[in-house]
Amino acid sequence: MALLDRRSRRKAANGVFVTFCTGAAVLAIITLFAILFSLVVKGVSGINLDIFTMSTPAPDSRGGLANAIVGSIMLCSVAMIGAVSVGVLAGTFLAEYAGLNRWTNAYASVVRFLNDVLLSAPSILIGLFVYYIAVKPVHGFNGWAGALALGLIAAPVVTRTTEDVLKLQAKQLRESGVALGAPMWVTIQKILWRASQGGIITGALLAFARISGETAPLLFTSLGNQFMNTNMTKPISNLPAVIFQFGLSAYDDWQRLAWVGALLIAGTVLTINIIVRVLSQEQKRS
Amino acid sequence: MSDSKTEVYESFVEEIPADTVKLDVKNLNFFYGKHQSLHNVSIPFQRQSITGLIGPSGCGKSTLLRALNRIYALYPGQRAEGQILLDGENVLDRGMDLSLLRARVGMVFQQPTPFPMSIYDNVAFGVRLYEQISKADLDQRVEESLRRSALWNEVKDKLHSSGLGLSGGQQQRLCVARTIAVRPEVILLDEPASALDPISTAKLEETLVELKADYTIVIVTHNLQQAARISDHAAFMFLGRLIEFAQTAKLFDNPRATRTADYITGRFG
Repeated sequence: MALLDRRSRRKAANGVFVTFCTGAAVLAIITLFAILFSLVVKGVSGINLDIFTMSTPAPDSRGGLANAIVGSIMLCSVAMIGAVSVGVLAGTFLAEYAGLNRWTNAYASVVRFLNDVLLSAPSILIGLFVYYIAVKPVHGFNGWAGALALGLIAAPVVTRTTEDVLKLQAKQLRESGVALGAPMWVTIQKILWRASQGGIITGALLAFARISGETAPLLFTSLGNQFMNTNMTKPISNLPAVIFQFGLSAYDDWQRLAWVGALLIAGTVLTINIIVRVLSQEQKRS
Repeated sequence: MSDSKTEVYESFVEEIPADTVKLDVKNLNFFYGKHQSLHNVSIPFQRQSITGLIGPSGCGKSTLLRALNRIYALYPGQRAEGQILLDGENVLDRGMDLSLLRARVGMVFQQPTPFPMSIYDNVAFGVRLYEQISKADLDQRVEESLRRSALWNEVKDKLHSSGLGLSGGQQQRLCVARTIAVRPEVILLDEPASALDPISTAKLEETLVELKADYTIVIVTHNLQQAARISDHAAFMFLGRLIEFAQTAKLFDNPRATRTADYITGRFG
């Protein structure tokens, strides 16, 4: 019968679709676990106190990742300080002041568009750009250039999330601040930023997670350093560059260190993602 | 709805003694871009009393209210023409200090909007903007404001917990406390009870009636019974025009305009 026929065909089509979806999800999860598994298996065995106390060694000698860890923390911190300052202010402009008049509106559209372009720009491009403005002129790779490159990658993320969370705040919250006699800038700083805190921090943490593993822009800028260095005007070691160099080397102990470095970055990113989840849950509840 | 351009709008405005007028609106026209939403509205607001603004949705009640503290100025494209005299001074003057004006003319909104901070800080927020007072004085001001808004007993033990944790009715009374803490002269309320349950509404109404001893209160309400219960004067608005302004009892028992009569008897609206 035609009716029954159509029904069974529909059921079959549904089954095929569900199978494909489930299959894709399983594939994604298997890949993810395979990566995590190999990271843990190859990384954990290499973790010891030396990792955190000694600098990267010459082949076949004792050493750790202390210089790379310290370097990465420095580069990322400086980058994040810059990116959050610029990003939060720019996002605030886009959300709160863009509608002021025709000119601010036009300007905001341009900023928003360029920010979106920057958001998806290949990081190697940013590395190359910073190389030409902050490495070549001073004739040397340096930490500031590395931080600048990372900051340029992080800032658009912060700008975008700040604009989005501010726009989510009720119009009446803005008006209530103003209605008490607070100027707009006080209302923004004391009320709107506070109300959007969770979202802005989430955006900043995601940006941090994004730049913590960036390699290409650092190869052009901060390069790397075999020794412990905290002078930002000189090349600074960093985890991604060490992983790149050591992972491709022929030495077993270097390869082991590369895996440990990768595990450290993955662990950090995972922790940040968990923090973000918890924060956004809290945001939803309030 | 009938054609608003050809129809004649009769307007009945009862005089009130000039020396009791706190806020005097004269020939107010209001525009959202090119669309005119208030037409020649003239209405006096008496000090130490409650004036209720009633009328169907979209009649311009909220627009009128939002003109009184110029909160509309946040949005480019909205503008008002005419006069709004606050103790004789035109609020619409270009040179008006808007922040100072809003400290004198407070506003409570339809949805409770506690700030994301403690109950204490919510109330102290506006005070700290304009006054440098000692901790003890500030404590006292916060307590007094919370008492007057009938919230003190419910929150006195948790002043330093978040204002967001209060119930809707408590949040709205917190907004009232926050508004009176800066000691304004006029309080504007835009359907303050529409998001509240009947018990919270009753408490809020009680608060307002007590507050009128010191303030000029203007309240927009959809609820005719509420206007009848608490207001001293009432204004009925329709299609951006003021149709009738009179003592509340008169307006409800003996309206002069047919439109008013139709509205309050539920024939439209």
